[in-house]
Amino acid sequence: MHPRERLPYSPIEGRAPLKLPKGVRLVVWPVLALEEWDIGRPMARMVISPPQGQPMLPDHPNWSWHEYGMRVGFWRLRKVMQKLNINPTVTLNARVCETYPSVVKACIDSGWELNAHSYDQVPMHKLDDERAVIDKSMDVIEKFSGKRPRGWFGPGLTQTFDTLDYLSEAGVEYIGDWVLDDEPVTIQTRHKPIVALPYNFEIHDIVMMALQHHPSDEWHGRALDHFDVLYAESAERPKFMALACHPYLSGVPHRISHVERTFAEILSHDGVVAWDGSKILDWYLTESRLRDAA
Amino acid sequence: MNFPKPSVGMLPNDRLDYSAITKRKPLKLPKGARMVVWTITNVEEWDPTQTMPRTVLTPPAGGSPMPDIPNWCWHEYGNRVGFWRLLQVYDDFKIPGVMNINGVAVQAYPDIVKACLDRKWEFVGHGFTQRNMQKVENERADIRKSAEVLQKATGLRPRGWLGPGLTETWETPDILAEEGYDYVADWVLDDQPVWMKTRGKPILNIPYTQECNDVAMMLIQHHKASEFYERAMDQFEQIYKDAKGSARVMAISVHPYIMGAPHRAKYFRRIFEKIRRKRDVLFWNGSQIADWYMKAGPKPE
Amino acid sequence: MANPMIPRERSEYSAIVDRPPLKLPGNARIVFWTIVNYEVWDIGKPMARQLLPAPTGVPLMPDVVHWGFHEYGMRVGCWRFFELYKKLGIRPTLAANARICEDYPRVAREARDAGWEFMGHAYEQGPIHKETDQAGMINRTMDIMEKFCGKRPVGWLGPGLTQTLETPDLLAAAGVKYIGDWVYDDEPTVIKTTKGPLVTLPYTIECNDIPVMIIQHHNSDYLLQLVKDQFDRLYAESARRAKFCTLAIHPYISGQPHRIKYLEQIYDYVNKHDGVLHWNGEQILDWYRGIAKIEAAA
Repeated sequence: MHPRERLPYSPIEGRAPLKLPKGVRLVVWPVLALEEWDIGRPMARMVISPPQGQPMLPDHPNWSWHEYGMRVGFWRLRKVMQKLNINPTVTLNARVCETYPSVVKACIDSGWELNAHSYDQVPMHKLDDERAVIDKSMDVIEKFSGKRPRGWFGPGLTQTFDTLDYLSEAGVEYIGDWVLDDEPVTIQTRHKPIVALPYNFEIHDIVMMALQHHPSDEWHGRALDHFDVLYAESAERPKFMALACHPYLSGVPHRISHVERTFAEILSHDGVVAWDGSKILDWYLTESRLRDAA
Repeated sequence: MNFPKPSVGMLPNDRLDYSAITKRKPLKLPKGARMVVWTITNVEEWDPTQTMPRTVLTPPAGGSPMPDIPNWCWHEYGNRVGFWRLLQVYDDFKIPGVMNINGVAVQAYPDIVKACLDRKWEFVGHGFTQRNMQKVENERADIRKSAEVLQKATGLRPRGWLGPGLTETWETPDILAEEGYDYVADWVLDDQPVWMKTRGKPILNIPYTQECNDVAMMLIQHHKASEFYERAMDQFEQIYKDAKGSARVMAISVHPYIMGAPHRAKYFRRIFEKIRRKRDVLFWNGSQIADWYMKAGPKPE
Repeated sequence: MANPMIPRERSEYSAIVDRPPLKLPGNARIVFWTIVNYEVWDIGKPMARQLLPAPTGVPLMPDVVHWGFHEYGMRVGCWRFFELYKKLGIRPTLAANARICEDYPRVAREARDAGWEFMGHAYEQGPIHKETDQAGMINRTMDIMEKFCGKRPVGWLGPGLTQTLETPDLLAAAGVKYIGDWVYDDEPTVIKTTKGPLVTLPYTIECNDIPVMIIQHHNSDYLLQLVKDQFDRLYAESARRAKFCTLAIHPYISGQPHRIKYLEQIYDYVNKHDGVLHWNGEQILDWYRGIAKIEAAA
């Protein structure tokens, strides 16, 4: 389906405000992404290009760069989350359950929500059988954790025009791929509707650090600028702020302190809480039911 | 130097001669004002079945797969949420708006069109779709259709034109003049309006900007958000100084999906907090600049 | 070579939190490892990095602009490095194309006489994937350096960190004891090769002037800020386990007048701290071999 058939245009101005539980005005949605970079393929991102620039296979330096995140960076981020009492949504390539079981187990032990992020870090467009990969991703994570994921992120947020229909059939209830509003929205599929939660690209370590090459402390600068506006606006209507971290970027020594103070400062404001995707979804489902009933 | 002439249209220097700004007769604005600031808001519609004009996030391992839903959504956010944030700034500082809008976007975003009409914004033609003018099948039909859509939606024929991504063919100014446009802003080559020859009647070009432009600064050059404010102030102070003896024009160009993002909006607001108080600075739209120059400036050859 | 091992077969996944801490001698808690890279850019080939792409963006040959850009480092920039490390009493690791012994003997002699550690870094600067005889190139590199220094290097860094799947086997066969190409851990690790175990040392593509300055286009003072942020965190963590802070620099980048003072300030900052050792790769390797059961691990 064409995106417009799934969701008509609607300006936020003039929409009836949603209502968060008493005392809450802004919800922070922390997202931690775990990926599998197959040495047999071009690497998903590059920190260093080979001399003369042409990419070569195998791409060992960039494979190592990512592997550091799983060996060291993840554990640093986990400490920060635990210290600040944050339960992030962990979006993972299902294959990570097979290749880094101790990492996934640490997430489950911490009580973190697992969200499906396809099987490998490959765009949805390049899969021969999208539906089969979606089912497999959901099944592998369910089998490993005992719980079927409720949410989904496409690798690099990629989708074809059919992806949402397959996701709905596979039991996915919410996605983060539609970054088009400050509030959750309900989108149509050929199966059941899916909720798109307000994710963002702006406070996103791949976009800021790997693509736009900002200095490490700009994570904090941009996030606080973003927060100040949303917090002021949240006096009128609930606001949501997603922050997306990858262990190989946010878990390195020169960035981790900026990540930590960003979360700490934002969460120190009155009426600001950190929820995972599942919790935001539950609230939104109740809230939209109440509104439909009214 | 001699360049081979195109078979249709003209080379730039056949449309206007080189001219040093310091050697011109001084231009005067009404009531002793030194300079004009005009602010352009660009509203586009991105076709989800085509490659996206810009991307914020590339897919893993690169390439540009279709459809590109994440980047389509990134832009759509601007029209759902970001535009309304920018509108508040225009309202708070009483800035006359210039709406630079694709023909298709007029149909796609009637709420935005209505908000602009309520505030008497000027509408400028910006192509029927957000495509390079060199790639549209029939340039004249595109330009004509853009005008017709705007006339239908606003009751007025647009007087100004800004090509999508400032793109032109050798013939664009000729067609614009023939189709009844009074001014164009694609030629970012001066701090004052200039007359350009066409094969028919001359057309006016008024100063636009690729520097104080959020696409260039945020998406291409990857500056941090506050740099938009810093650069606008540096630009403003210099033009203000330069305009001591002869009037100049400064443009600021924004897109709701870029400057309307929460972490950037405050820097847009801060520009007007700083410059709106200046008594000798006029805040005009494009038509006001064109009308003034047609009276106060030199006549076309 | 049939079916070389993939990285995962050479090294199983291991979480840092599951390992017993490593301990440095005495009161030392962190090693600051400086790697200086000296290269040869052959004018007959495309230049390794391009600061100012040719108009229209298509690379042109010969590229005298970038040949000169690099040559400045060997004519001027590297002498700023020599002076700095002499003053600081630091003997860094020199990751050098072996061809510098032939093309820039004056520079190579200076490094050797100052006691710097020579580390194999291919014969000249180009991706290792393009070598028709990789084993031959590796051996030649090691032989030239051994002849020049009177001692075979123990370390290796691929040009631009490039490796093919068989590279670790070829390196071990040529007598290499440690590599810097695996930037995947905060600690040394041991990986398998067909010729026995090989140690990886924690090199860096973060605190490295090529990504920071040439690829990411940061301001000159940003390398200082980045290393401070990196060091602060590692120093805090080094209260519990040995840490390594690595810095990789090139004379045509950090040896530029507008950048050199920030490099100097990095050492001013680091040296304000207690328990910092300035070791080169060979010294880290010797210590690690003394405490790790390398044969058993591999």
